[in-house]
Amino acid sequence: MPRPLWSGSLSFGLVNVPVVLFSGVKDTNLHFRQLHAKDHTPVEIHRFCAEEDEEVPYEEIASGYETDDDELVVLTDAELATAAPRKTRTIAIEAFVDVEAVDPIYLDHPYVLLPAGDADGTARAYRLLLEVMAGTERAALGRFVLRTKEHLALIRARRDRLVLTTLRWHDEVRPTKDVPTPTKRDKPAKKEVDQAVGLIEALATDWDPSRYEDTYEKRLKKIIRDKSKGKTIDAPETEKDPEPVPDLMAALEESLAEITSR
Amino acid sequence: MPRSIWNGTITFGLVAVPIKVYSATESKTVHFREVHAKDGSRIEHRRICPKEGKAVEYKDIVKGFELSKGKWVELTDDEIAAAAGSQSKRLEVDHFVPASDIDPDFFERTYYLGAGAKGKDAYALLHAALDKAERAGVGSWTFHNRERTVVIRTLDDVLALHTMRFADELVDPRDYDLPRVRKKPSAQEIKMATALVEGLSAEFDPTAYQDEYREAVLAVVKAKAAGKNIEPPADEEPESGDDLLASLEASLAAA
Repeated sequence: MPRPLWSGSLSFGLVNVPVVLFSGVKDTNLHFRQLHAKDHTPVEIHRFCAEEDEEVPYEEIASGYETDDDELVVLTDAELATAAPRKTRTIAIEAFVDVEAVDPIYLDHPYVLLPAGDADGTARAYRLLLEVMAGTERAALGRFVLRTKEHLALIRARRDRLVLTTLRWHDEVRPTKDVPTPTKRDKPAKKEVDQAVGLIEALATDWDPSRYEDTYEKRLKKIIRDKSKGKTIDAPETEKDPEPVPDLMAALEESLAEITSR
Repeated sequence: MPRSIWNGTITFGLVAVPIKVYSATESKTVHFREVHAKDGSRIEHRRICPKEGKAVEYKDIVKGFELSKGKWVELTDDEIAAAAGSQSKRLEVDHFVPASDIDPDFFERTYYLGAGAKGKDAYALLHAALDKAERAGVGSWTFHNRERTVVIRTLDDVLALHTMRFADELVDPRDYDLPRVRKKPSAQEIKMATALVEGLSAEFDPTAYQDEYREAVLAVVKAKAAGKNIEPPADEEPESGDDLLASLEASLAAA
């Protein structure tokens, strides 16, 4: 079992459940290193003071903030830590909301939340919360501090465990009003919409995440294999960009005819 | 609105919808740069060859993948980019799913799609049809040399695009075992906890939450700039209640 990223407690009214947090995402990416070209020695990144041209040990690094009038404010880690909220080890549940009411635009990083240790009291309080959340289809909203950042988090039941997803703050979501959209003149005719809905329905399926695979990682693995055998890697051909069609209705009819004849 | 980050065309069937892609989110985290504590001088990251103990110039750096311990395969940026497949400006949507069936854990990032200069009628048609069919389109999109599965749905008057995580990137929560319990939560405990959940039920209103930490960080910056002394606060730790039923009762009474 990996080490938890965070441990603390989940508080719900006056009930406190000691919990640990694990990432809900695995790193499946292939990683590259920077190498010294002549002998493939992996290079290391070292920090240097630009003024003194000397290497700086980690303890002598501080955080610099540039103010609007170009003044540099230097904060040590201890000073920066004073900004962290007091209850750093607690996720206090503030409200319960409908899971479906949370727009996916807010979702950030998924985690798995588990009871800390195997004390019976902890395990029972965890199961109680899990059972109630699964039964009511509600998710808990709370705040917590992970590393140095405060997050708004959504906690819900998924596959018989509690999972936590950090949420973006509302001012981190841009308004849609400045996005260029069609004008009233572009409004489609009812028969066009019906035809397009027909096309969507002909192509309708259930959501099945197992049907998608990371073709990029797959191709990258093959490229690495080929290269290690001394093969040349060719750049793939570029596809021609599609052009907008002049007659939407004709395009829809032709598409539907093609799908139904499959 | 900032500039679009990608321009291309959605195709569904033989219909082509020219689009412009914009980031829907932006991080407001307060960013610092590394400085030398004693005088605030700029810190540079330099690449050092540990064998020679000397800095290596950028032109002498290559990218490598470690096949086995100490055995590297060297790849150029072009060779890595070849993994993206055909660098097409086409985003083909070839099936449609009920968006509410998708578990939130799959959503990665969101972008807004703006209508391109040509073909605004096609954009309006796709928007109207997705709304009416109550479905979201699924397709594949190559962005930054990387192919991703994306879900396209309506959001107010615009189309939103979500990049999705692959199933094998998600941890199955059931891979973690739960400790056994001697006694399952009782019917009474479930009833009381459910009442507590109902009592704390609210509409999801994201504007009700502010990033107080961000504001606290900026306040510390301001205090330091004004030459004030910065004192650490004391920690508060909650007590863990042993009697579940008594805690639930007290919580309900307090609610």
